[in-house]
Amino acid sequence: MELSDRPERRPKLTRREFIVAGSAVALAAACAPAAAPSPSATAAGATTAATTAPTTAVSSPGPTLKIGMLLPSTQVYAELGASQKRAAELYLKQAGNKIANRSVQFIYEDEASGDTKIAVTKTQKFIDQDQADLMMGIIATPNAYAIRNTVDAAKFIYLGTNAGGNAMTRPIANCTPSCFSKYVFRTSFSAWQVSEPLGEWVSKKGEKEFFLCYSNYAFGTESAAAFIEGLGKNGGKDTGKNTPPLGNTDWLPVLTAVKGQPTKNVFSFFSGTDAIGYIRAWDQLKMKDSGYKMYGAGFLTEQDVLKEVKTQAVGAITSLFWSVELDNAENKAFVDLYKKEYNLLPDVFAVQMWDGMKALDEALKKTSGNTKDKDAFIAALEGVSFKSPRGDFSFDKATHNVVHDIYIREVKTSGSDVVNSIVDKFGKVTDPGK
Amino acid sequence: MSPDLVLQQALNGISFGALLFILAAGLSLIFGMMDVVNLAHGAFYMLGAYITLKIVDVTQQFWPAIVVAPLALALLGLVLEPTLLRRLRGRHLDQVLLTIGVALVMADLIGLFWGREIRALPFPPGLDGSVVIAGNVYPIYRLFVIAFAIGLALLLAYLHRRTAVGALIRAGVDDAEMLSALGVDTDRLFAFTFAVGAGLAGLAGVIAAPAFGVHPGMDVEALIYSLIVVVVGGLGTLTGAAAGAGLVGPADTFGKTLFQEFALALIFAIMAVVLLARPSGLFGRIRISR
Repeated sequence: MELSDRPERRPKLTRREFIVAGSAVALAAACAPAAAPSPSATAAGATTAATTAPTTAVSSPGPTLKIGMLLPSTQVYAELGASQKRAAELYLKQAGNKIANRSVQFIYEDEASGDTKIAVTKTQKFIDQDQADLMMGIIATPNAYAIRNTVDAAKFIYLGTNAGGNAMTRPIANCTPSCFSKYVFRTSFSAWQVSEPLGEWVSKKGEKEFFLCYSNYAFGTESAAAFIEGLGKNGGKDTGKNTPPLGNTDWLPVLTAVKGQPTKNVFSFFSGTDAIGYIRAWDQLKMKDSGYKMYGAGFLTEQDVLKEVKTQAVGAITSLFWSVELDNAENKAFVDLYKKEYNLLPDVFAVQMWDGMKALDEALKKTSGNTKDKDAFIAALEGVSFKSPRGDFSFDKATHNVVHDIYIREVKTSGSDVVNSIVDKFGKVTDPGK
Repeated sequence: MSPDLVLQQALNGISFGALLFILAAGLSLIFGMMDVVNLAHGAFYMLGAYITLKIVDVTQQFWPAIVVAPLALALLGLVLEPTLLRRLRGRHLDQVLLTIGVALVMADLIGLFWGREIRALPFPPGLDGSVVIAGNVYPIYRLFVIAFAIGLALLLAYLHRRTAVGALIRAGVDDAEMLSALGVDTDRLFAFTFAVGAGLAGLAGVIAAPAFGVHPGMDVEALIYSLIVVVVGGLGTLTGAAAGAGLVGPADTFGKTLFQEFALALIFAIMAVVLLARPSGLFGRIRISR
């Protein structure tokens, strides 16, 4: 044990490299004073060679790829942030700790979801102080909107891995709260992409009247609007709505009100704690026995919710671009790898980050690891296309939003488990971009 | 709204108010006696709920929690008061800041120890069903919460009005200095009061856990509601906590049903009106200017 361990001891190796790269390190340190003089500094020692001849630097390792990760590590979205962090680190590990022959450093900052000013400050830090190559992450839509102008002005690539507000990848006349920037890509989804197909699907099945119950915030409102748009394609319409605040405490009054109206089909947009509260109150009031049926965007019945509400959600029909049950080779490999590493089932947020890393990997392979030429980097990202755990993954060139399949899923029991079983599919759903 | 819908929402509101009473009683007690706005009260409530989660996970039993969690919280209070709060006695603003610090540290430690996932607890066996009231099903647990809060209120009222400790607490609320001059060991009395207040917060956490779930952020929610309740009802008295909870619970429920756009503003509006008409709250014995 002792003997075999010895040659691999890290400090000695890095120290030797450190000496070899001596003067170059000092140079690099002078250029980026904030960089930590740890292993990344030795890799940065090669910077000088790489920058003089960027296209030929394929065989020798390039400078460290620095990725700013803006993810919540505190407050209500902390678990979503943790899930994405796990996915990013797992991707890097299975890729041999290198992307396009560059070692990678993740710089994590807390998204502190409540305050958009903080998100802007942290983004500015990635750009100025960390000299990061790009940034990823952001769970909350208001934060993604808030940083749009900062990344656009700095010509700094942002690869969004969750925030799903429609406007992030759409041109809007006066640019508030956000609008298309060529530096912004999104690997997750838009509100429209998830909920519109469900409206189309149910109305095609002949269910034309829906009561709406959704969290009263931008993403909930956008999702409900998209659902109604889909419903309208086959002559369906909504019959009324109930919109509790985001982070509601007591759900019994909400469900009492839903039960007090006659429309049996209920489009329900909730996630996290709200989804759990909603589904449990739905069960307590025996809505199912009274003929009510729950529909919603897939977040309503994702793993975090399903593992707590279990059979209480059975029968709910939701739409999403992924399910842990999805039957394809990439998904099986991904789920197995994730389970082996963390002893946990991956959730949809992990998939979004996994695909973000994969998209980055594919794009940088095409640019030979070069992130300095922004136009080439953008063109490479635009051309990315691969098999993801969710199916075919590509970006829409017009919006830089992901193009993917949307699955209609029903919550069913499978042995002792409760799962989102796939019942139908919409191929290559593209956000309309307006 | 049809009459049976009004009845159901009234029950929802009353049972929410019942929970708020358990939560606010402890906060009110601590403030009345020690003049400390304990902003860690929400974190105490959260810890009570997480201890319940642990007990249910390990033993598959809910009922032990109803004893263990309040005792654990009381013990914590018994440690925190002499080690931290006592050093800052009389310095109100510093004490408030200190309790905020305690709240933040506790919430983070809970996240570290239990994880930051959202958890739901099953209803205790026997209380997991529902009954039919006026032709509609209604969950039994919510009725249990109402009954439990009434029972607790009666018990607290008895202890408060008919026992020696109750007399000391009442005297302390009126004039702690004079009480000290009469030879009562107010240090011990304060520690005891703080422990009881913390225990009540823990108890509220136990009762709330099956109904409202267990998750990060529940501490802040609970703190805001309990502050509103004690300000409306009046600080320092049990009657005040009961009246405040009885008003805020149903108002919040009906507000969220009838005027959804103003739901969050409604309870604050009630608070503002009460403060304008009666600056010390509905049944307050303490003037805010003190």
